[in-house]
Amino acid sequence: LILNRSKTILAIALAPAMLCVSQAHAHKLHARGVAVAVAGSPVTVTPTRDWNQLGGNIGKATERWTLDGGQLNDVTFFGGIAPGKPLVKERSKKRDPLPKFTKDTLLVEVPELLEGTYRTYKDLAAFQLLSAEPMTFLGHDGVAFSYEFTDADQLTRKGEARATIVGGKLYMITFDAPRLSYYGKVVGDFRALADSAQMR
Amino acid sequence: VRNCALGALAISTVLAGLLAQPAGAAPASVPPPYTGIYQPHGVDEIGLWREDDEDERQLAASNLVIRDEKLTAYVKKVLCDTVGGDRCKSVRVYIIREPTFNASMSPNGTMRVLSGLFLRVRNEAELGGVLGHEFGHFESRHSLEIFKANRSGTDVLAWAAVLASMSASYRTQNSYQNLELSVYGTLFRYKRDQEREADMLGIGYLNRSRLRPQAASKVWQNVMAEIEASSRVRGLSKPNFNAIAFTASHPPNAERAAYLAELALPDAASRDDGGERYRAALAPWLPMFLDDQVKLNDFGGSEYLIQSLAETGWTAQLWFARGELYRSRGNQRDMARAAEFYGHAIELDPAVADAYRGLGLSLFKTGQRTEGQQALRKYLELKPNASDANMIRMMVPKEVSEN
Repeated sequence: LILNRSKTILAIALAPAMLCVSQAHAHKLHARGVAVAVAGSPVTVTPTRDWNQLGGNIGKATERWTLDGGQLNDVTFFGGIAPGKPLVKERSKKRDPLPKFTKDTLLVEVPELLEGTYRTYKDLAAFQLLSAEPMTFLGHDGVAFSYEFTDADQLTRKGEARATIVGGKLYMITFDAPRLSYYGKVVGDFRALADSAQMR
Repeated sequence: VRNCALGALAISTVLAGLLAQPAGAAPASVPPPYTGIYQPHGVDEIGLWREDDEDERQLAASNLVIRDEKLTAYVKKVLCDTVGGDRCKSVRVYIIREPTFNASMSPNGTMRVLSGLFLRVRNEAELGGVLGHEFGHFESRHSLEIFKANRSGTDVLAWAAVLASMSASYRTQNSYQNLELSVYGTLFRYKRDQEREADMLGIGYLNRSRLRPQAASKVWQNVMAEIEASSRVRGLSKPNFNAIAFTASHPPNAERAAYLAELALPDAASRDDGGERYRAALAPWLPMFLDDQVKLNDFGGSEYLIQSLAETGWTAQLWFARGELYRSRGNQRDMARAAEFYGHAIELDPAVADAYRGLGLSLFKTGQRTEGQQALRKYLELKPNASDANMIRMMVPKEVSEN
C-alpha cells in the first residue's frame, strides 16, 4: 500500500522545517530461502528471491516489502487486523477516519474495505475492483482479488491481493505496481512469495 | 547600523508597494468590455505561460481526465452562457475525476473542473456561478499578480534575514520575526482579496447572463450545510464559518454567501436556473460520481449530498447509493436501514443488479440468511459475470441455486 498524498499547504513557510527532517528509517534485506515471520504475526513467508523490507510504519500489524522502491513495487503484509481497527494508521481519528474492519465483515467485503481505505486515504476516485475469486489462503477459506487505481501522481497502478479471516482477525497480502511494465515484471515474484505464506 | 537603517527603508518601501493592493473591487455591475484573446507580456508572464502550457500538456495526457465529449461540451456551454460567447472562446475545459469540491483556471486558459463539483451544484446557474468565479481570476490575471507578490514578499524576507544576521541581538531577531509574520499575513490577505474580486466578477457575469444570479450564494450555503453535517457525524465541534484563519486563502464561506446574495440582481430572481437541463446532462454520470462520494467514508457529508439530490425526487440510484453508504458504516442498525434502502431502489428499478447484492449482504449480516441468499441469487441471475460472482456463489447453497 503506497501512502503518498501530496498537498502543498504553506510550502514556503514549511520549507526550512522540512530540511531538518532526515530519513532515518532503516531498511532490511530478506534473503532468498530464509523463512521469516512478517508484520509481527504468526504468518511466515519464504522468499524465492531477495526482497527489501521498507522502514517506516504505516500501521500496527503491517510490514512493507519492495524490490525497486515502494513507488514501483510494493508488497504489504497485514498480519491480523483486529475488529474495530482500520487497515493502516489514521492521520486523524476524528477528522480523517478510515473504514474499519469489523467482526461482521464478510470475506466478500474485504476488497471493498481495501477500496474504501485507498479512496479515503488518498482522496481518490479512480479506483476499480477487477475481480474477486475464492481461494485457500493460509489454509483457510480466503479471497484473491485484483484492482486498478490512478494515484495523484497520474500513474495507473495495478494491484493484487489475498486475504482471509482467521480467529476474527484479517490477514492479507497486497501487491501494487505501475500497470506499465513494473506490474507484469514482478507479479510472478509476488505470487511465489504469497504462495509461500503459512500460518504457524 | 547604517546598513540596517537602509535595509529597513528598502523593506518599508517594498512593503508599502505590497500593501497597495486593490481594496475591495467595484460592486457587481457589468463586467469590463472584453479585450479579445490575450497574449502574455513581459518576462514574468511569458515564463508563467510557458510553465502553464507544459502543465496543460501533461494534463491532456493524464489518466485522471474524464474524456467525454458530451459532458465536456456541456460544461463549456454553461461557462459560455455565463460569461458570454466571446469570452469563453479562450478556455479549454478539462474534467478531472477527483471527488472534491473544486475548480480552477490558470493563466493560459486551462480550466480544471473536479468531478466532486457536480454533486454540489444543483443547476446551471450554480455551476455557472463557480465557473464564472474561476473565469474572473483568469480575466483579472490573478496568477501573475500573486506570483509577483509572492516573489517580492519572499525577496524582502530574504534580504531582511541577511541584514538581521549582521546584528545578532534579541531585538533584531524579534523585529525579523514580526516582519515575517506581517509579510505572510499580507500575502494571504492579498489572496483573499483576489478571491473577493473574482466573486464580484463572477456574479457580474451571472447578472448579465440569462441564468439566475441568486444561485451563486446558494452554492456557499449548501457547502456550509454539508461541512456542518459532516462534522456533526464525526463528533467535531460546530465549524465557525465567519472565522478567518491567518493562512486562509479564501474569504470565510459565510461572508461569501452573504455578499454574493447582496450583489445578485434582485429583478433576476425569477430567471430560469437550468435545473432540469443540468439533471438531464448529468444523469449518465451521477451513479459514478455518487459511488466516488459514498466510498469516501464521510458519512455525514455523503448523507447530506444524497438527501439534497433527492429534493427533486428519489431515484433508484439515490436509494442504492444510500444503501451502500449505510452498509459501509456497518453498524447493526445501519444494516437494517441499508436493506430498506436497497429495497426502495429495487422497487423503483428492478434491474439494478448491485442493489440485490447489497440487499443480500445486509440481510446476511442481520441474520436473515435465507432472504439474503434469495437476493444474492437474483444478483447472480442479473449479473452472472460480475467480478465477484464466484465469491457470491460460495454464499449461496448449490442445490438451491440450481433450481
